[in-house]
Amino acid sequence: MNNELNLYFDNAATSWPKPEAVYAAAEKQMRQAFGNPGRSGHTHTLEADRLVYQSRENLSRLFNINDPARVVFALNATDALNIALKGILKKGDHVLYTAMEHNSVLRPLGRLRREGLITASMIPCNAEGYPDLEYLERAYRTETTLLVINQASNVTGTIAPLDQMINSAHKRNVNVLVDAAQTAGTIPIDVKKEGIDMLAFTGHKSLFGPTGTGGLFVRPGLNLAPLREGGTGSQSETDVHPESMPERLEAGTLNSAGLAGLLEGVSFILNTGVEAIRDYESKLRKYLYASLQELEGVTLHGPPSSDQCAAVLSFTLDGADCGEVGYILESTYGVICRTGLHCAPLAHQATGTFPQGTIRLSPGYFTSKNDIDYLVSAVKEIAALAGN
Amino acid sequence: MTASCYITFPTTFFAIRAESILKEKGSSFKMVPVPRSISSSCGTALMCACDDLSTIGKNLLENGLEIEGFYELEESGLKKPVAKELSIDDLESI
Repeated sequence: MNNELNLYFDNAATSWPKPEAVYAAAEKQMRQAFGNPGRSGHTHTLEADRLVYQSRENLSRLFNINDPARVVFALNATDALNIALKGILKKGDHVLYTAMEHNSVLRPLGRLRREGLITASMIPCNAEGYPDLEYLERAYRTETTLLVINQASNVTGTIAPLDQMINSAHKRNVNVLVDAAQTAGTIPIDVKKEGIDMLAFTGHKSLFGPTGTGGLFVRPGLNLAPLREGGTGSQSETDVHPESMPERLEAGTLNSAGLAGLLEGVSFILNTGVEAIRDYESKLRKYLYASLQELEGVTLHGPPSSDQCAAVLSFTLDGADCGEVGYILESTYGVICRTGLHCAPLAHQATGTFPQGTIRLSPGYFTSKNDIDYLVSAVKEIAALAGN
Repeated sequence: MTASCYITFPTTFFAIRAESILKEKGSSFKMVPVPRSISSSCGTALMCACDDLSTIGKNLLENGLEIEGFYELEESGLKKPVAKELSIDDLESI
C-alpha cells in the first residue's frame, strides 16, 4: 500500500482507520479496567462499570437521548434490530418495511412471517432507492404496529425521508424502528426532535468503535420483551430477569473492551462535530460521483445529489464482472472496496443491480481528495482494459 | 463507635449513574462492595458519612434515580455490623 494514500474504500462495511484513542482505550481496558462490569464490587469492576456507563452517556449526547438507561448495548446493528423486532412484535401484528432494508431486518421478519406470527408488507423504492410514500399511505392496516426504515442504504447511500415517514406512521399510532447502521456518527440524529421510537446502530462503522459493539435506543414508555435472559449482576436471588432498563434487554458479560473503544470513537465524533463530518463526507461523495461520471463504461447507481446520501456509492462497469473489478482494484492498485450483493437483495432489485451486484465505494472521514484521484485513475485503467 | 451510611441500588446502572451525578456536584462519598449484613440487588453500594446521607439521598431522588434502600451500619467491637434500613421519608428527619 502506498503510505501516502488511504486506499480503504470499505468504510460502509467497517471503518478504518479508527482514531488513535480507540485502539489505546480498548487495550487499556483489558490491561487495567478489566473487571466484569456489574459483577463483584472491586475497583477493577468499578472501572469497567464507569467505562460502560460513560459510553452510554456519550451515545445519549450524540443522539439527544435524555436518559442513558434507554441505551441498550448489543453486538452490532443486526443484534440490535433482532432485539427490537423480536421484543416488540406480537402474534398478529403487521409490519411495514422498505425495499432498502438490509438482511438484518428482512431475515428476522421473514422468519417471524414464515412461523405465522406476523404479516409484513414491503414499501417499494424507485431506482434511486427512495420509498414510494403514496404506497406507504395506503399500506397501513388496523393491525399495523411497526414501520422499519433503513435511514441510509448500504448499497446506494440514499437517505430515506425520515420526517415524512415518521409523521405518517405516528398519525396511525404505529411505532418506528430506524436502522442507523450507515448513519450513526455521520448524519445528525436527534431521537427527540425526529420522534424516533427505536434506533438501532452499530459501533464499528461510522462511530469508529471496535467490532462487537452496537446498541438500541428504546423510547421511554416502550417495553420490549427481552431476546435473551441471564446474568446481570443484580437481583441474583431470583430466576426472573430484571425489568428495569438497560439490564432488561442485556444479559451476560458486556463487551467492555469494545465499549471502552466505542466511548473514544463517539468522543472523537462529539469533539469533531457530526455536522463537520457530514459536510466533509458529502463533499467527498460529490467529488467521487463527478469524477467517476466522466469515465467511459461506468454506470453509477443511486441519487446523483450527494446532499441526499451517506458517503456510499455503487457503480458497475460495462463488460466487466464486479468481483473481477474488485480483485484487480486490490491486487494491482491496492484499493479496497466491496463487490457483489451487499446483503440487501430487495435494494439491488429496486436499483436494477440484481443479481450481478455492484462495486461499492465507501470513503470515510479519513479519506482525502488525493485518495479519490488515485482510485478514479485506477478505475479508468480497468475500464479501458474492459474495452471502454 | 463509628457509623457509616449506605445507599443501595436495584442495578449497577443506577449505582454508576449515582456516582456520575454526585461527582459533578462534588459530594463526598465512596463506591464500595455491599456489606454482607445488607441485602441488595446490586453488588455495589454508595458509602457516605451519615451526616451527608440526607443531602445525597435527596439529590439522587431529585435526579430520578432508582434507589433500593438507605442504611446505617454501626460497628462496635467484634460484633457484626447491624444494618438498619431507612425509608425515604426518614431522610427528612435525619
